[in-house]
Amino acid sequence: MLAGAVVLWELASLTGLLSRTSFPSAWEIGIKFVELIQSSYLWIAVGQTFAGWAMGVGAGAVLAIAVGTLLGRSRFAYASVIPVVEFLKTVPTIAILPLVIVVLGPTMQMKVFLVAWGIFWALTIQVIYGVRAVDPVVRDNARILQLSGWRLFTTVTLPSAAPYVATGMRVAAAVGLILAVIAEMIGGSAGLGLNILVSVNAGPTELPSMYVYILMTGLVGIAVTALFTVIERRMLHWHESQRNLREVGA
Amino acid sequence: MVQAQRVGDRPVATEANNREDTGEQGAVLSVRDLRQVYNVGKASEFEAIHDISFSVQKGEFVCIVGPSGAGKTTLLRCLSGLLRPTAGEVLFEGRRLDKVPDRLSVVFQDYSRSLFPWLTVAGNIAVPLKVAGLKDAERKARINEVLRAVGLGDVGRQYPWQLSGGMQQRVAIARSLAHQPDLLLMDEPFASVDAQTRFDLEDLILRVRVEYDVTVVLVTHDIDEALYLSDRIVVLSSSPSRLRTVLDIPLERPRNQLTTRSSEQFGKLRTELLKLVTE
Amino acid sequence: MTTEKVFAKDKRQRSSPSRLAFVRFAKSAWRAWFFLALIVVWWFVSLNSTSTFFPPLSKIMSTFYDLWIVGNAPSTVLSSLIHFAIGYTISGVGGIVIGVLLWRLPRTSTAVSPLLYFIYVLPAVAILPAVAAIMGYGSEMKVTIIVLAAIWPTLLNTLDGMRSIDPVRMDTAKVLHMSGFRTVRSVVFPNALPQIMAGLRNSLQVAIIMMVVSELIASTSGIGFFILDAQQRFAITEMWTGVIVLGLIGSVLTLIFVAIERVVLRWYIQSRAVEKNS
Repeated sequence: MLAGAVVLWELASLTGLLSRTSFPSAWEIGIKFVELIQSSYLWIAVGQTFAGWAMGVGAGAVLAIAVGTLLGRSRFAYASVIPVVEFLKTVPTIAILPLVIVVLGPTMQMKVFLVAWGIFWALTIQVIYGVRAVDPVVRDNARILQLSGWRLFTTVTLPSAAPYVATGMRVAAAVGLILAVIAEMIGGSAGLGLNILVSVNAGPTELPSMYVYILMTGLVGIAVTALFTVIERRMLHWHESQRNLREVGA
Repeated sequence: MVQAQRVGDRPVATEANNREDTGEQGAVLSVRDLRQVYNVGKASEFEAIHDISFSVQKGEFVCIVGPSGAGKTTLLRCLSGLLRPTAGEVLFEGRRLDKVPDRLSVVFQDYSRSLFPWLTVAGNIAVPLKVAGLKDAERKARINEVLRAVGLGDVGRQYPWQLSGGMQQRVAIARSLAHQPDLLLMDEPFASVDAQTRFDLEDLILRVRVEYDVTVVLVTHDIDEALYLSDRIVVLSSSPSRLRTVLDIPLERPRNQLTTRSSEQFGKLRTELLKLVTE
Repeated sequence: MTTEKVFAKDKRQRSSPSRLAFVRFAKSAWRAWFFLALIVVWWFVSLNSTSTFFPPLSKIMSTFYDLWIVGNAPSTVLSSLIHFAIGYTISGVGGIVIGVLLWRLPRTSTAVSPLLYFIYVLPAVAILPAVAAIMGYGSEMKVTIIVLAAIWPTLLNTLDGMRSIDPVRMDTAKVLHMSGFRTVRSVVFPNALPQIMAGLRNSLQVAIIMMVVSELIASTSGIGFFILDAQQRFAITEMWTGVIVLGLIGSVLTLIFVAIERVVLRWYIQSRAVEKNS
């Protein structure tokens, strides 16, 4: 199927259906791809985008799990803070981007902060729901078994909340990557996004490399999604949704 | 054999009265004037339990039966300390219950929800042992021991949901016995398994309670099961639940699914109990 | 039944529904205290702020009044909202229609799905410069960008939701001799609706982001341009007002969506509540 799309692209390009100035032929892009993939320049950019994404998602997730768990424990804290969190969740992350850019400049910190902020609110809500959604039978069992404190958190609360957290994390991973690319493209932080913009501004001769960078961004997206699917499958192998998957697969 | 003797020692069935003599001496569990009302002061106010008193002696097997919706589960939650009663009190080993005590354990009906699906069988059984602070080696030994006791072999590394329903309930029983409690409460523990497994599990629980020297209080809606298992049966009325009577079951021990259930005495008791429950 | 119980019921019935609604509102109104406290804290902490980036909230509010209440800044938002409305409508309708078509053509959808998922995971912003280079900097480009990015969540969720129909429900439809169209309309589509709504909500967030990003990268109008322009002139207080307006736009659009969703999915939300209680 993918091969078919490439062939179609090449044909359209050869017959002039796609204008050569905006769409270089698949062949040209291929050559550029092979050339760039051997240069460290491309891989450094991939590394920068990935690092910003990973640190941002990591920081945002740790904070969201900590805050969400604390809030989920108390009805009062939950009811008080939820309106603020719900409101801030609806504020598009893009709104604070200009602010973050002027305060932090085109740096890695800016990228990390933007990604962390962008995923924090939605993920916190997911964690709160997860912590509050512990099965009453499981909660009774935890009390019968005298679980409390840290042991209660690791043995019961976290595993129960895990399916909710996983859903939140999957979305966070995708959103985080978009935000990392935005931070590079608009904020000027180094990475694939900046390279795309630079190639566009360099004029028609650099168009093939722009497509290579776009392709590369897509590949990073696939890698990130695949990574989370694998993690989810390993961590939640006990959960109904995953059990069913295995049965279907077998 | 010990059991049979003790049954013989006890006084014969007292007449049906709402206030049974709560013998404090040696009672593992005593319930005094227990009342449970939900949604107090609201339009949906609902009285589940009305002034129930009874007590359970050490080593006894007591079943609680009643028509469906009689607040049996509510009563059990009060007995375990999961639910604070609206009025009255529950004493466990002479002390008033304000939380779930260490020496008490509960087996719930729904094994698929009460076992932690994210832990292996061994992991599930290890939870109460970790809480009790047992060392690694000791813990392993204890896990193997209780697994053997409930008739499960080498399933420690499997996940509960990979096992059949009957096996899962065995794991739940093993987990509740692991830290060697004095009192085991069971809420319709065999209601979700098939008939044959049910018989097996009934015999299992009769065997392990001797092995572990544990007092058992079991809630059920199945009067045959209650007769087969009990030394005494607490019969509840329909909602709001009141104590209808406490019935002594002088059936000989050890009991056997075939001979006990087909005995003439069993039939008589069954008729009597059925009358009490359906009236 | 006890006498207290009867009495309690009577007392309830005497209060009118509107009064009850007010009581319910008053009961949950206290939840806003933390929100208000944060704003008060912000106000007083920033009162004597000399930081260029964090001007006093009082100053932001007065600038906000000058620009957005009496000034003509709101007109700049209009073009953004028009692009958003057109783009989001096309993505929503297009996503559902294509999703349903792909569901009807299972072979095509199996063939196309790797490509679809690739485009879905490709961060949409990455193709933005390419689209701008091809289409120029007009309204068409902005609408195209919004559609190209926002159509995927709706499309894929529609497809997934329709595929996940319970086979028993399909058999029921057959037993009842329902026609193909009727089956889709009264069985498959309602069944997939919760997931379709989830997709539409996702698309909404993406559409808002792309609306702003398209203006940040290439534009001379719109809320995104307003913020960028203020930032480049180093008019930080003005920029703050833009950020607040953008935040409010996002919130209001989401709230409207949630309100619509509550109506559309009433049966679903209620059935879930019943399940939870039992």
